[in-house]
This record gives sequence, structure tokens and C-alpha cells, in this order.
Amino acid sequence: MSLLSRAVTLALALLLALPVVGPPPAVAVDDVKIALVVPLSGRWARQGQLKKMGAEMAIDEINAQGGIKALGGAKIVLREADAGDSVEKAVSAAQRVLTREKISAGIGSWLSSFTLGVTEVAERQQVPWLTLSYADNITERGFKYTFQTSPVSSAQAEQALDLVVELAKRNNQPIRKAALIGDNTAATVFFFKPLREKLLQAKGIELVVDEVWTPPLPDATSIVQKLRATQPDVVFYGATNFPDSIQVLQKVKEFGVKTHIQGVGAWLVTPEYVKTVGKELLDNIQAVVAAHPLKGQEELVKKFVQRTGEPFMTQDPLCSYAHVWLIKEAAEQAKSADPKAIRDALAKIDLTTGPAASTLSPGRIRFDERGRRIGAVPLIVQWQNGEPFTVVPVNLATRPVVWHK
Amino acid sequence: MVASELTQYVVTGLLVGGVYALMSIGLALIFGVMRVVNFAQGDFMMLGMYLTYYYAVVLGIDPLVGALVTIPPFFVVGLVLHRVFLARVTGGGDPNREMDAQLILTLGMSLIITNATTMILSPMPRAIRTAYATQAFAVGPLLLNQARTYAFFMALCLAAAVYVFLTRTDLGKALRAAADDPEAASYQGINVRAMHGVAFGVGIALVAAAGGLLATYYPIEPNVAVNFIVLMFVAVVLGGLGSIPGAFVGGLAIGLVQSLTLLVLPLQLQNVGVFVAFLLVLYVRPQGLFGRRARTV
Repeated sequence: MSLLSRAVTLALALLLALPVVGPPPAVAVDDVKIALVVPLSGRWARQGQLKKMGAEMAIDEINAQGGIKALGGAKIVLREADAGDSVEKAVSAAQRVLTREKISAGIGSWLSSFTLGVTEVAERQQVPWLTLSYADNITERGFKYTFQTSPVSSAQAEQALDLVVELAKRNNQPIRKAALIGDNTAATVFFFKPLREKLLQAKGIELVVDEVWTPPLPDATSIVQKLRATQPDVVFYGATNFPDSIQVLQKVKEFGVKTHIQGVGAWLVTPEYVKTVGKELLDNIQAVVAAHPLKGQEELVKKFVQRTGEPFMTQDPLCSYAHVWLIKEAAEQAKSADPKAIRDALAKIDLTTGPAASTLSPGRIRFDERGRRIGAVPLIVQWQNGEPFTVVPVNLATRPVVWHK
Repeated sequence: MVASELTQYVVTGLLVGGVYALMSIGLALIFGVMRVVNFAQGDFMMLGMYLTYYYAVVLGIDPLVGALVTIPPFFVVGLVLHRVFLARVTGGGDPNREMDAQLILTLGMSLIITNATTMILSPMPRAIRTAYATQAFAVGPLLLNQARTYAFFMALCLAAAVYVFLTRTDLGKALRAAADDPEAASYQGINVRAMHGVAFGVGIALVAAAGGLLATYYPIEPNVAVNFIVLMFVAVVLGGLGSIPGAFVGGLAIGLVQSLTLLVLPLQLQNVGVFVAFLLVLYVRPQGLFGRRARTV
């Protein structure tokens, strides 16, 4: 064997030996993929955009802190899909995103009607799904993979009514007549149903206007005419479609209707309302929501505002922020990115610390066998001088409530 | 029900219908002259709303004036779009293949415009805050929303201007000739292709102006067209395909039926009334209300 051949043989031998004698290579860590199925086009695109902002903020925080430690620092990545403006599109988006690659958990889809469809897909694909949607029947179908962090619509209705009645009584303006006006999307339907069937009657309140429409609303004149004619003491208001909502509020101002407006959902506390109808008209309008910045969350809100340019933070980014953190905690506990393992961890989770728990009032996250968050309570948010503030519960409120008529 | 309440429903319906009417005549003109079903018509309305919005916030132009000022740029946009795209799929060749190509082209334009607007301007709704959007004229017991009243009368004026243009000017007569019989019109020295361009320009300028008027009281968002496009098509078919007066009356009728439906049906079924009326009219007069003038302008 020539000198050259010996040298080449030695070099090859060394090269082959390198993996054995060198330091062990870093274990390749797979990313943990979270699906976000929300409307990014169509009439609810703004809400989807806000949800995406919250999810991205949580993901950046988690990844900056070293990812999921139990999975060797695995990073979280977001796979977004556009739910569009119909249940069919939302279902199709969920099918696409859940079948294309391995997804560990999902979030969405804002509108309860969409969530009902999307969670069916998640259940079939056995991917745990976190939602802020309110409709009762989301967690009444025996699904194992659906987790609803918000208080359900019927519970919100009961608690919102109690609060409004109590506030009115305290201000010597007892409520005798109420109105229900809103669209026929699932969350509003489930909010109005118990009010219409029993709750108002049980408190001796007469239902004087009950108007429900299919979005879009062509004109609000007939609705507000009825409000003007019957003068209810409180209006429960559920118009998820922004143009519909604006038409009603403009008409309320035009017809000079003075009544207490209690909104149903966070759609009523988004920044664009100030620009559209002005802060004077919004002042003291309240909304019952699943999440809103609480006392002690000033830093989080500041960070969100700096990052996004939004004037304030609302339920939609807050919930998706909490949901991502919750999935992270579940993956840590499961020590796995497998959707079934994460589902099992979520079913058993009892979280009282960390960003997820502090974002969702009252600060503890655990689920019952239906997937509903135990102890979830609604918050009341009130517009004051062009900004919505949490006013109930009082211990977590950022402003005291103001009542006027 | 008292008479004043009934009158309020009628007046409200007509005010709502006025803007539907203006939206619809642009669509009818395009179909009448070019035989093109323009699925992007609602998207040009949306762009008209945005242009009016920027006129208001950047230049301080009142939206009622801004709506009129949308007409020249949209007319030019219409001419260019026709020259670049539509001229390739209209006016000659196999009508069936042309129809397929037109449908795909206008549907594609609609998708591109909506999605590009969402990407560029964000889905965040915008609105022009005008005092008259939340004020009313009190006429006895009736309340007439000021923005809708102004929009209604401006829509009437624009529709009348279109009528005068089509019946009293040489260009208008040439457009009608090109619509009635393109072959005979070309023998008379009328450039039918150029007439198609004018029809498309005027058609989208009208719907952009209607969008501008709508923006005086309705929020603007990239997806706003879906709230109106079906009603535009219903108005055009109800009036008799391609008939300008028919589309105008069809638009007014839709507003009126939407409003009067509430006297007998719950709010949730408001648009059911529109479609029941639509089916009844087509059952009695399959050619639409202005059927004898169908396919003419």
C-alpha cells in the first residue's frame, strides 16, 4: 500500500470514527404546532386579526424564554387558517389545517356558530381545541377534545341580569321593562334564550321588545322605533356584525332613545367603535365579556399596545394569549407534543399560576368532564371616556362602575 | 297600526331603496350594453366607499361631495379595466365560451379586490363620522334620517342624469344602439368596443358613487360588498335584465319590501319577504317588471 493510499485510508477511518468519538449531537427538537382557525377575511376578520395578535405575542414570549422545557426547548409555531365568513368555510379551514401536518392543539374560532363546526373536525381528528366562544351547546355534545374557557352564554345572561338589576336598584331606578335586540348567531341566541324564557319573568321584568335578525341588518329604524315607543329600562344588545351594531347605535342617538345598553360579548368593546360613533355615545354602555384587562395586568397591556399599535387590549387577544400559554403548560405536564397526551393533560390540569391563569378570571384553570372551565365568571366592561374598563368584579376592576340613564 | 307608523315604514323603505337603486343601475347598464354579469360590481362599490373615506379624512371633503368626486377616477378605471381585460372576452367569438370567461374574470376580479383591500388596508372597519348620520328631519310624526335622505335625493339626481345621458346625448344614443344591435350599430359607424368601455366605466363609476353615498351612514370594510351584491342582482333581474329604469324601480322595490315585510313577518325573515316578492314577480312576469324593455337601455 502506497503512502498516499495509507493516508487516504487513515483519513477515511478518522472521518468514520468522528461521530463515535466526538461530542453527542444535539437531539433534533420538533416544533410544537398550534392551529389558529379564526376569521381572517369576511365580516368578522377584525376579531380574527385581534386573536392572532394575542396568540403571536404569547408564542414570542414562550419561545424567547426557551420554549417548552419538557420537550427539550421545543419552539411553538402557529399554523393559521382563515375561517372566512361562513360555517362551511370555517369547517373546511379546520379540515385543511388539521390534516396537512401534525397539530398538537388548536384555538378558535371566535364566532360560536363557527366553533360548533370546527370543534366537530377537531374531535374527529382527536386534536384538543381551546375556544373562547360562549354558546352553551359547544360543550353539551359529549366531545372529549373541546375545552371552553369562557363562561357559557346562559351563565353570562344570569349573572349580567343580576348585576344590572342590582346596579339599577342601588341607583333608585329599578328595572321594570327590558328589551332583547340582537342577531341570531349562536352566542346571542343562547344568551337571550334563558332571559326570554324564565330569568326576566322571575325578576318581575316585562319583556317589551324582542327583535332578532339575520346579519346583515338592512336598517335599524323599526327596531329603534320600538325602543322609543316602549322605553325599556335596559336593552340586552347582541349585534356581532359591526355595521349592524353601528346602525343600531346611530339610530339610538338619532331617535334620542335614553336607555341602559348592556352588550353581549366583546365585539362591543373594540377600538373602532370610538372612531365610528364617538366616545360620547359609547359612554356608560356596558358589555358582558369572558376576559378583559384586570387590575395588575397593566404591564401585559402596555406590552401589547407597544407591539401592535392597538389603543387597548380586549377579550380576543387576551384569550388567545391565555390559550397558547395553557397549551404550553399542558405540553409541559404531558411531556409530549402528541395531541392525545395534551388533551389528557388539559382534562386534568389545575392551574393557578402563570400567564394563562392570571389572564382568565378568577385566576384558576381546570375543566369539568364536559370541557367547561370550572368557576369561569363573566366580567362586565364599561365604556368610560372612550376606553372600555373592567368594572365587575369589583376586586379586579380597573374603574368603578358608573350608572346613568 | 296607525297611519303614521305605516308611512314611516314606507318612507324608510324608499330611503333605503334609493341607494340600492343607484347601485343596481350600474350593474344593469353593464349587462344591458355588454351582456357581462359583473360579479365585481359590489367590490367597486366598496372601493368607492374607501375613496370617499380618504377624500373626507385626508382632504376634508364632505362625503356627499366626495361621492360625486369618485365618478371621474372610477370611470377611467373602468375604461382601463375594459381595455386590458374585458375587451378580450367580449364582443365576438363563441358566446358560450365568452360567457364562461366573463364569469371567471369578474369573479376573479372580485376575489382579488376584496383580498388585496384586506391585506393593504386591514380588515378594521372605518367610518366617516358625519353629524347628519345621527340626525333626522322631523316631518310631522315622521323621522327621516338626514344622511339617508341626502343619499336618496342624490341617487335620484344621478339616476336622472344617467337617463338624460342615455336618451339625449349622441354618446348615450350610441351606447343604446350598441346594446340593441351591435352589428347594425357598427354598420352605422359606431365603435361598439369603445361603447363597451364607456358602459363599463359609467357602470362602475355609478356604483362607486353609490358606495360614497352609502359611506355617509354605513361603516366601510373590505367585505362590505357581500351585504349588497345579492340585492343588486335581485333588483336588476326584478326590473328586467339590462333595463336601467327597471333596475332603478327594482332597487326601490327591494327597500320598500324589506321595510314593509316587517309588518307581517319577524325581523329575522326580512329578506325572505324580498325573495318571495321576487319569485312572485317572476312567476307573473318572467321577463321582469320592465320586461318589454329587457335587454335594452
